[in-house]
Amino acid sequence: MTVSALTRPGERDRLVVKFSEIDWLFSFALCLIAGAGALMMFSIAGSSWEPWAGAHLFRFGVLFVVMVVLAMVDLRVWFAIAYPLYGVGLVLLVLVEAVGDTRMGAQRWLDLGPLGSFQPSEVMKLGIVLGLARFYHSISADDARFSWWLLVPVLMIAAPVVLVAHQPDLGTAMLILMTGVAVVVLAGLDWRVIATGLGAAVISVPPMVMFVLHEYQRKRIFTFLDPESDPSGSGYHILQSKIALGSGGFLGKGYGLGSQSQLNFLPEKQTDFIFATLAEEFGFVGCFSVLFLYAVVIFMALRTAALAHSHFGRLATAGVTATFALYVMINGGMVMGLAPVVGVPMPMLSYGGTVMATVMIGFGLVQAVRVHRYSEVTSGKGSFL
Amino acid sequence: MSEPSIFFTEVNERQGVFHRRAFLMGGLSGLGLLALTGRLAHLQLVEAQRYEKMSASNQFNFRLVPPPRGLIVDRNGVILASNRPNFRLLVAKDGKMDPEGTVKTLAHFVPLDAERQARLTKDLIRAPKRSPVSVMEDMSWEQFSAINVRAPELPGVTADMGEVRVYPHGGAFAHVIGYVAKVNREDIQPTGPNSEAIMLHPGFRIGRQGVEKAFDLRLRGRPGAQKVEVDANGREVRQDSEGDIPATPGAEIQLSLDADIQTRALEVMGDESGAVVMLDCRTGDVLCMASAPSFDANRFVRGMTRPEYQALANYERKPLLDKAMSGLYPPGSTFKPTVALAALEAGINPEVRIHCSGGWYFGGRTWRCWKPGGHGSQNMHDAIKNSCDVYFYQTALRIGPDPIARAAHALGFGQTFDLGIPGQKKGIVGSKEWKRKAVKREPVWQPGDSVSYGIGQGYVNVNALQLAVMTARLANGRKALNPRLVRSIGGKELPSGAAVPDLPFQQAHIDYVRGAMIAVANDVTGTAYRQSQLGLGDVMMAGKTGTAQVRSYDGVADRNSASVQWKLKDHNLFVAFAPYDAPRYALSVIVEHGGLGGATAGAPRAREVMRVALLKDPEIRARIEKPLPMPELTPDGLAEGAAPGAPVPGAPPLATPPSGGAV
Repeated sequence: MTVSALTRPGERDRLVVKFSEIDWLFSFALCLIAGAGALMMFSIAGSSWEPWAGAHLFRFGVLFVVMVVLAMVDLRVWFAIAYPLYGVGLVLLVLVEAVGDTRMGAQRWLDLGPLGSFQPSEVMKLGIVLGLARFYHSISADDARFSWWLLVPVLMIAAPVVLVAHQPDLGTAMLILMTGVAVVVLAGLDWRVIATGLGAAVISVPPMVMFVLHEYQRKRIFTFLDPESDPSGSGYHILQSKIALGSGGFLGKGYGLGSQSQLNFLPEKQTDFIFATLAEEFGFVGCFSVLFLYAVVIFMALRTAALAHSHFGRLATAGVTATFALYVMINGGMVMGLAPVVGVPMPMLSYGGTVMATVMIGFGLVQAVRVHRYSEVTSGKGSFL
Repeated sequence: MSEPSIFFTEVNERQGVFHRRAFLMGGLSGLGLLALTGRLAHLQLVEAQRYEKMSASNQFNFRLVPPPRGLIVDRNGVILASNRPNFRLLVAKDGKMDPEGTVKTLAHFVPLDAERQARLTKDLIRAPKRSPVSVMEDMSWEQFSAINVRAPELPGVTADMGEVRVYPHGGAFAHVIGYVAKVNREDIQPTGPNSEAIMLHPGFRIGRQGVEKAFDLRLRGRPGAQKVEVDANGREVRQDSEGDIPATPGAEIQLSLDADIQTRALEVMGDESGAVVMLDCRTGDVLCMASAPSFDANRFVRGMTRPEYQALANYERKPLLDKAMSGLYPPGSTFKPTVALAALEAGINPEVRIHCSGGWYFGGRTWRCWKPGGHGSQNMHDAIKNSCDVYFYQTALRIGPDPIARAAHALGFGQTFDLGIPGQKKGIVGSKEWKRKAVKREPVWQPGDSVSYGIGQGYVNVNALQLAVMTARLANGRKALNPRLVRSIGGKELPSGAAVPDLPFQQAHIDYVRGAMIAVANDVTGTAYRQSQLGLGDVMMAGKTGTAQVRSYDGVADRNSASVQWKLKDHNLFVAFAPYDAPRYALSVIVEHGGLGGATAGAPRAREVMRVALLKDPEIRARIEKPLPMPELTPDGLAEGAAPGAPVPGAPPLATPPSGGAV
């Protein structure tokens, strides 16, 4: 198929053409990361598909198909459902505040009866990106730089952040906040506002820590600052994780031979600390390879954002990428003792369906933007829905 | 090539800003990933060794292994204390286990009554994490294997094989060797050898009495360690036997005791309460040091129940007391050789006779001799042989207390010896100065004190060991010896008891007293003639009887009646050495409340114990087995023609003190 053929009207709407336009390198990198996760889960389960590795691969397979299907969805559909999705997310967050289940001291879960339960905050991770992207699609560059219009994105970000923080789930709230801020900055916020905001954030951190945070959250931060102060208590996770990493050395202890993970010294070895499991058995080489795959994913997604013709598509893709990159940074920092212990998994590598679903649906959006990168999305009410 | 035109159709300000900022975001992400990589490199390449060590210390644990406790053997290498294998059931508390449930489950495998279950549950809850509690010792093989098969399903439960102390002779050496017992909270000290972690091991035992206590640190050895791979809960996953550090067994301790003599001594004591001590006259080695009745030290190792302990502690014959070293008794007539020696040294002519009419009036009262009819005219030899009280009343009064005290000290009274084990009591040797210091109520030495001193009553108190030392020193001649109980520790010989100044007596005086003691046992009129016949040919015994009065007999008609309550009867003492012509073994026997006269209870027992020692000695044995010499060659001092078993004329050989002495 020649380039000229693609320029033919209607050619790009053909399903086969759309399918071929999917970013297969990007998808391959995702498969490799998920595969590495399953490999580690197989190892720590004592060479068994049960209970994690099999389920992990199955989930990934299903969600991969979901991603491909979503990639076929026209950008205008994404555009149309942007505000509704944000609205539903917000309603669900209010609902969870009213009737949600309390698990492990935090009200995060909404019981859907026979369908199981899920965390509305996950919907909001995607909702905030889509909502902000749609909003910025409609305003001019000048307005996006600095104007009264900016009160809208501020409110759009503040509402879910406050609700999630109140659950309390500080990790997710911070993630939503940082994703939202990333979109606002990418949309062209004035540098002076950014600088002021950064300054205010830095100044407000200590009083926030002292007066707003819960006791357990404060303790985590102090433990992070000095993990060896309480090696058998709350510093245990960080210390054991660092031991697993460091003892892996250059080439690792060998597959199935990581004493820290196999003998349960490493906490949450299949979820939040799976990167440490990998580091112990495959060493620096293994870690570097996986980080390289993450870099591939992030840069391919950013390339998609840069290629998109619609401002909505650009911002939505960049927002999803920002969420993903934040996951990697926060989890990586936590495992290596650079960030406090917060319940943020390593996307695709860690066991757990919720975050994987959020990320893969987000990547469905990214793929859709790539597939439909030449599509124009009319501003305002120009949608066909 | 229309592609570029499509590409730039929407080039506007918004796109330009986004592209710049997306580029920046890419750069930031790249920086972030680079930072993570840098941190990884720091941890995995720079600090890898440090974390490898920490990982290994997580993965591997060293479990302390108690060392085999040192053996205790007798002079011939017979084992007096050793260790035997013990199948043991241990439970260690870890994070997730339920103490009560575990104990209940274990009750299906081993017998645990409700009371024991409750106590174990309490112990488990109180025990520090991962320090095991012993549920049962000495399981049968069936129980051991049943538990071992099920152990993987029972968190914290292990069945292992340890060692437990065993005393093959039961109670025969209980007082000398002592016993080991579980470590108490009070035993653990913040510093020193009693602070070591091995103290907390459920298989570890600490020495509680005697040799076990005195040489505890030498007997302990150094604990070894077993390298095991553990998981995060401290549960053992795998053993790495190549990483084990072997335990160093404790030092072996050889005692000078002879198991056969000791066992025989305890046998002949039967149900009686008392002590038997035998020394080798030439070396000072303690061959036998028995206290009767004894107790089974193995019961203490296992841990005794309260009723069991009460039964021992409350028995009136006091099995827990070591009567050989810490039981003090008036020596009674066994003190007379000492007084005689003091008198000879003080210049008394032994041939000057004193008339005994059965009593002697002095100081406003009558001092009675044990023989109501009196002994008639007595020189010193006769007085010792017949144990005449009147002779010694008068002799002691003549020379005064201080020469007697000097002689008593020289012969070993009033002092303790360095046996290596605690528990000796000094006793009392009265003198003018001693009384001035010790008796506040009446500090001046009265002539009457000297009179009773002369027959070993009043201000004189000795133990069985001192009596044996006195006998050994008299028997050995001028060369004095100290008793030695521990021959070697860990193969290193301890000095023998030879480093003592010679006795400050003339050899002739010692010989005179010895001659009199030979007559006690071998003259047909001697007080212990009938009971002292060894039946070993010309190997014969010399001795001295004694009675230690435990109460005043004023107004008591019959001292030797069977109706007298056991606790009110006199102590019966006997000292002996043999062969009398070339002394080798010296012996003292004390039978508490054994009744009147050292010959009745003490001498027959001394004879039996002496026979064992003599028959074990190869030189003596050779002497016995060679043909008897002609009768005319018998040494002097032995009555001619007195064959063993011949009818004995005269009074029954009883040595009775008067009613005057303060006891």
